[in-house]
Amino acid sequence: QDNTQSNTTAAQAAPQQTYEWKLVTSWPKNFPGLGQAPETFAEYVNEMSGGRLTVKVFGAGELVPGFEVFDAVAQGTAQMGHAGAYYWKGKMPAAPIFSAIPFGMNAQEMNGWLHYGGGLKLWQDLYKPFGVVPFAGGNTGVQMAGWFKKEINSLDDFQGLKMRIPGLGGEVLKAVGGIPVTLTGGEIFTSLQTGAIDATEWVGPYNDLAFGLFRAADYYYTSGWHEPGTQLEFLVNEQALNSLPSDLQAIVKVAMRAANQDMLDEYTARNNAAMNKLVNEHGVTVRELPQDVIDALREASAQVMAQQAEADPDFKRIYDAYQSFFAGAKTFHGMSEQAYYNNR
Amino acid sequence: MAFSSSRLPSVIQALDTFSRRVCQACSALSLVMVVVMLVIVVLRYGFQMGWIALQESVTYLHGAVFLLALGYTLQCDGHVRVDVFYRRFSPRRQAMVNFWGTLLLLIPVCGFLLYYAVPYAADSWALMETSKEPGGLPLVFVLKSLIPLGIGILLLQGVSELCRSFLNWRYNTEVQ
Amino acid sequence: MEWMALVLFACVCGVLLFGYPVALTLAGVSLIFAGIGALVGGFDASYLTAMPNRLFGIVSNETLIAVPLFVFMGVMLEKSKVAESLLVAMAALLGKYRSGMAVSVVLVGMLLAASTGIVGATVVTMGLLSLPSMLNRGYSPAFATGAICATGTLGQIIPPSIALILLGDVLSSAYQKAQLSMGIFSPDSVSVGDLFVGALVPGLLLVVLYLIYVMVVGVKSGKSDDAAMNIDATATASATEEPEQSLFSALVPPLLLIIVVLGSILAGFATPTEAAGVGASGALLLAAFKKQLSLAQLKVVTMDTTRMTAMVFMILIGASVFSLVFRGFGGEELIHGFLTELPGGVFGAMLVVMLVVFALGFILDFIEITFVVVPIVAPVLLAMGIDPVWLGIMLALNLQTSFLTPPFGFALFYLRGVAPPTILTSDIYRGVVPFIIIQIVLLIGLAIWPELATWLPETLYS
Ligand code: NA
Ligand code: NA
Repeated sequence: QDNTQSNTTAAQAAPQQTYEWKLVTSWPKNFPGLGQAPETFAEYVNEMSGGRLTVKVFGAGELVPGFEVFDAVAQGTAQMGHAGAYYWKGKMPAAPIFSAIPFGMNAQEMNGWLHYGGGLKLWQDLYKPFGVVPFAGGNTGVQMAGWFKKEINSLDDFQGLKMRIPGLGGEVLKAVGGIPVTLTGGEIFTSLQTGAIDATEWVGPYNDLAFGLFRAADYYYTSGWHEPGTQLEFLVNEQALNSLPSDLQAIVKVAMRAANQDMLDEYTARNNAAMNKLVNEHGVTVRELPQDVIDALREASAQVMAQQAEADPDFKRIYDAYQSFFAGAKTFHGMSEQAYYNNR
Repeated sequence: MAFSSSRLPSVIQALDTFSRRVCQACSALSLVMVVVMLVIVVLRYGFQMGWIALQESVTYLHGAVFLLALGYTLQCDGHVRVDVFYRRFSPRRQAMVNFWGTLLLLIPVCGFLLYYAVPYAADSWALMETSKEPGGLPLVFVLKSLIPLGIGILLLQGVSELCRSFLNWRYNTEVQ
Repeated sequence: MEWMALVLFACVCGVLLFGYPVALTLAGVSLIFAGIGALVGGFDASYLTAMPNRLFGIVSNETLIAVPLFVFMGVMLEKSKVAESLLVAMAALLGKYRSGMAVSVVLVGMLLAASTGIVGATVVTMGLLSLPSMLNRGYSPAFATGAICATGTLGQIIPPSIALILLGDVLSSAYQKAQLSMGIFSPDSVSVGDLFVGALVPGLLLVVLYLIYVMVVGVKSGKSDDAAMNIDATATASATEEPEQSLFSALVPPLLLIIVVLGSILAGFATPTEAAGVGASGALLLAAFKKQLSLAQLKVVTMDTTRMTAMVFMILIGASVFSLVFRGFGGEELIHGFLTELPGGVFGAMLVVMLVVFALGFILDFIEITFVVVPIVAPVLLAMGIDPVWLGIMLALNLQTSFLTPPFGFALFYLRGVAPPTILTSDIYRGVVPFIIIQIVLLIGLAIWPELATWLPETLYS
């Protein structure tokens, strides 16, 4: 309506079309951290597009259950989704590589690989048959190993340990003698409190404080070997994306990239504040997993990853690419980041 | 009560028998479910052992039990009704309610659910979709197929109910 | 178009009265509305494409796996005549006192409720077995039928209870949603186990109130008559045993089950689902010990279990279609606005919800209310700072009351079905009134002292 300039093209001269998109997520609405990214994204898009594209965010279960986000985007129920790639392992065994690999890359390295190391291309190729385009959707940073009801002094304490730990981490735990347990979100806290499980991992101090896990277990172990920098994802229905005018497409992409960085920024700020509160106000003791446990877990992780690679050619191809980038990053970060961490 | 089966059109009888047989088969799974659950508990708390696949198998059994029994439950009039007025209706009037209900509610609902659930399951078959948990059952396509299967059986039973209620209503075939 | 959501709800209620199965009415009427909405505008038809995903969400819901397991346990116990032995033994022991028979009925009702608690089965069993005895003893028909109906519904509130499992599933997501919307990023969680623990004190309190009432009235109207008792000891093998001995052997099985199931949940050995599996296996074992376990028997039990499970989940499917369409019309925002703007704040909102649930209880049963109404109102109430365990118990108690309330209470229908024609329906209606008053008294008490529900979970788990 506001196009009064005479030199506008026909397309621009037409009354500007507005778009209303639905964005389904794997998190409860307003979930701290993870659930913030889609809300941030929606705000960015709304502002940048001057209201031409509005995005309505749905929490898990409001439109579709959390684990159905991928299907919902693929079938066009929603134009967008926000989730974690490891949830789609059943469709694409290689998907978990794009969320978290035990003893794998951290957030900084993951962002480097995705955006400058060819990772995003591999990711988008993987989802292409479904008509879904993935983009980086935030990163939690290094997580914590989890909350344990009993002290872990050696690998023996892992024998028969009932722990709620999903994904590849669970497989690794099993390989060293633990029992991975799947529980629904509502059952986790009570199960830990009553001792039905011995341990649980969650996210990091920010979410763990929020979940109140310090009231259910005494020992908070580090580091999050199983999720050293969990990558989240935005999913976009390919057709919906292509049907947008190019300026709105650009707005969507830039907003996703900004929301991706924003999540890591938020976690960086909130995690240390939360850890401070856990230690100083709630008297939580943070411990490191003993070396023999870490060594065994690392060894088991390599085996589990090798098994996965053997079973699925896509996994092997993408994991090789991941590993070759990781090897370089590890070498350099040994000289830079790690050296500096030791110095400061 | 019901008129004798020899006077039922064979289609009603065939459909009734079909959903009953399916339900009989899947009702055995409810017993299996109890046993597997016990095994899981004993293994976990008694022997410190556990498998994700075993845990997931309970979900599969559960899904089979309630989905495949939807049809026979309809046949036995096991789906809850608000029977404040219904229970006082004459059998003919009840048959009329069931006829229109089946035609206007059950059949469209099942048709609608099938319309979306069939491609949903088919997509899963195309991928041979497995569990999202490592170590889980690689049979998610089977679990997803139970949905159109169960709804389909409900629809078939609905057709039987439609015929039966039509006969009872229009021809007053019900023996009073 | 938000008003369409309310019209939809009203139409569903109206069509339900024709008596076609609830689940299909919920889904069918909603679809018709969605179709109209999509044609005239105001409803985004792409919402409907979410349906297979929602169905799969129901199939993969792990909390609800406890339902068929507890149903199996209940049906198995019923078929293996645990209730009958208990009732006969208890009556033999207490029958010599004036209100003994009525007290037995309440105590047996409590034990059955704590070992499983399928309302229909309990009311029918007790109606068949103890109604004639109570009438023989000179209790008025109203008093006898009221006591049987009321104690038969105890299984709803005394854990383990299907009602609490379904409520727990709905409330846990509502609670998280509510807290996050309040900006509380330190949300507590609520589980089925929490509700079980929370329901224990109110449930037992209810039993105590029932007992006081039946003792007061029973002493006035009942007579002790050993001769009458012997006549009613219908179809029992234990008639030859000493009363104490048969009570012991009748009491042990349910007590064992209560200890195993409730004990393991309370002590944290097992999740409710695991406890349900153990309980179901236990019921199987007990039946074997009582020599009530044949292949034919097993077939009946598994068929009943399967049909009841299918019934519950069909409602869940229907409710899921309804809530999708209701949300598509913006109904959730409408209810949210209405409840938050009510005068009287939290109290006003809670009162309105409780009255609405009570009124809906006239036509809908607890499963439908739990799946259709609670997901809409609970997040709003919880976001006002209401304790989820307290809300759950208030709802469960309220829904239990609706089982009893004439003219549509389910317990009344079950009893009517097995009561002799000499008992007037109006007798049953009059008989339950004092028990409904007791329920309301307890509801008010719980509203004044929420600690009745919240104290035990807090104490046990801290
Ligand atoms: Na984690
Ligand atoms: Na119960």
